[in-house]
Amino acid sequence: MSDSNEPEKVEGAPQKSHGVLYIGMDLGTSRTSVSASNGVRETVYSVVGYPKDVVSQKLLKKDVLFGKEALEKRLSLRMYKPLEKGVLKYSDGDDQDRSEVEKAARDLIREAIRLAQPRKDELVYAVIGAPAQASITNREAIIEAARATVDSVMLCSEPFAVAYGLDMLEDALVIDIGAGTTDLCRMHGTMPEESDQLTLTYAGDAVDRKLTELIQASCPGAGFTPQMVKDIKERHSFVGATASPVVVTLPVDGKPTQFDITAQVQEACSILVDPIVDGLRKLIATFDPEFQHRLRNRVLLAGGGSMIKGLDTAIEEAMNRDLGGGKVIRVEEPIYGGANGALKIAHDMPEEYWEQLK
Amino acid sequence: MKDAVRRLAFSTSVDQLKKRGVKNVNVVGLDRIVQLIEEAVHRSLKNRLLVGDRMAVADATKEEFLRLLRTNEELQQHKARAEEEAESLRLELTRLRQDLAAKLAMAEASQQADYVKQDEAIRDLIGAALQEAGGGGEGLEARVLELVMHVVQSERRVSEAAQEAARDRDVSLLQRRIEKLSASLESTEKQLREVSSRKDVEAGIASVYREVQGLSDADNQFGKKKELMAGIFAANLQLQKKS
Repeated sequence: MSDSNEPEKVEGAPQKSHGVLYIGMDLGTSRTSVSASNGVRETVYSVVGYPKDVVSQKLLKKDVLFGKEALEKRLSLRMYKPLEKGVLKYSDGDDQDRSEVEKAARDLIREAIRLAQPRKDELVYAVIGAPAQASITNREAIIEAARATVDSVMLCSEPFAVAYGLDMLEDALVIDIGAGTTDLCRMHGTMPEESDQLTLTYAGDAVDRKLTELIQASCPGAGFTPQMVKDIKERHSFVGATASPVVVTLPVDGKPTQFDITAQVQEACSILVDPIVDGLRKLIATFDPEFQHRLRNRVLLAGGGSMIKGLDTAIEEAMNRDLGGGKVIRVEEPIYGGANGALKIAHDMPEEYWEQLK
Repeated sequence: MKDAVRRLAFSTSVDQLKKRGVKNVNVVGLDRIVQLIEEAVHRSLKNRLLVGDRMAVADATKEEFLRLLRTNEELQQHKARAEEEAESLRLELTRLRQDLAAKLAMAEASQQADYVKQDEAIRDLIGAALQEAGGGGEGLEARVLELVMHVVQSERRVSEAAQEAARDRDVSLLQRRIEKLSASLESTEKQLREVSSRKDVEAGIASVYREVQGLSDADNQFGKKKELMAGIFAANLQLQKKS
């Protein structure tokens, strides 16, 4: 630790008497998950909806809706998916768009913290896993949004949080497959630098797009929405061999019709493998040659995308083919891996650091 | 834990169960329920935490559960007492108001009845006196009666004023009592609102930690993690100073 980083005790900081609640948050494009030191673990789709007009507001009896509820009532709502590719999404130069997206992000973070059920008389310290490629402006916006509801907040890189949660701080490679991006991060015992991280756009949304194309081509006349494709992927995704065929029911001219889309699902999910292995090769090749084999054998597969059946095996096979071997370990809880890691960081952070950031 | 489960349970009789069409009942003992809860908690914690943490979390959770139970019971007792007090005050207040109204009505009615009797007696006396004196005709009798009644009315007004003054003292006493009871009722109801609102403070689930934690010296990667924490802090300090 450098001298300039030495913490100083802050006197007279406001105290809450009951205790301290730590919150770890994984702010993702598709889902936002929280793990807290009161045992609460919750996840919500990163979707925010505001009533379109007074009539819908009266009908819905709410000013803002989140997640699944917002998706279900989307026809009456102005919908925002504030985190596109893991960062706040707005058109450059459009101040109104920017302020609306920032408001949606703020409301989403507030909702995630509310889901953790903090007590009013407890200090709330939160660590938010932010995407590796989030810009400074984005990070500032996330911090501002969180500050309104917690006593002190810190950001950290999402793949780093996953590795920290599993105590894999040295000679490990993390693959965090989200909806917008896949983050690859090399862990070597210190804070990962820019050269230790890679961000790929081949992630959950790319699989959805590919699956949409394939279904359109192979299921003539079938009607479906992006949400239906996402649901199909989440339920049936796989690469490699499958034990059972993927048969779905889609409407054709209003008539429910069954389609076997096993091959389409497999092909769509497989688009992730080569770019990931290519990214792994870049990170391994630029690492100390003496320790490259250790990196290869400690590849951690995390994020929602890691739930694709057979993906760990497929990446291992591709590594054997292209990189001369490798071992992929799938995290036990893909949805909460990032949030659990962030919670552990929050727990381990010294008190003085929290105080200084209040 | 056993007591807590017992307190949360409800009682029913075999007859009541029969009425609901229940013929067979599966019985699970309290010990078994407590054992199952503990086992579930331990299993869940075992999958996520190290031994030391697990014990700490289990102890803290148990303590918090019992504390919450106690607090909840205390609050409920407090609320029940306040509600009881408010109810008895309300009843007392109503009773006093009814007493007051009844006393006033009764006094009024009794006075009117007295006046009617007195008027009749005066009329009879004057009639008898004039007849003894040889009679003076109907005109004289009416005139005398008028004069006498005028004097009587004046006397009655004086007497009524004295009576009203005495009654006002009673009424004012009762009204002061009513005011006092109203104030007491208001304070009890305020207390009741406070008790109810205290539940909002309790809203949420308590953390297992009472104090800020930090990295444990016993952590086998202590040095490395300390450095990483400092790195994360430095980056955040820079970022948050900017904003």
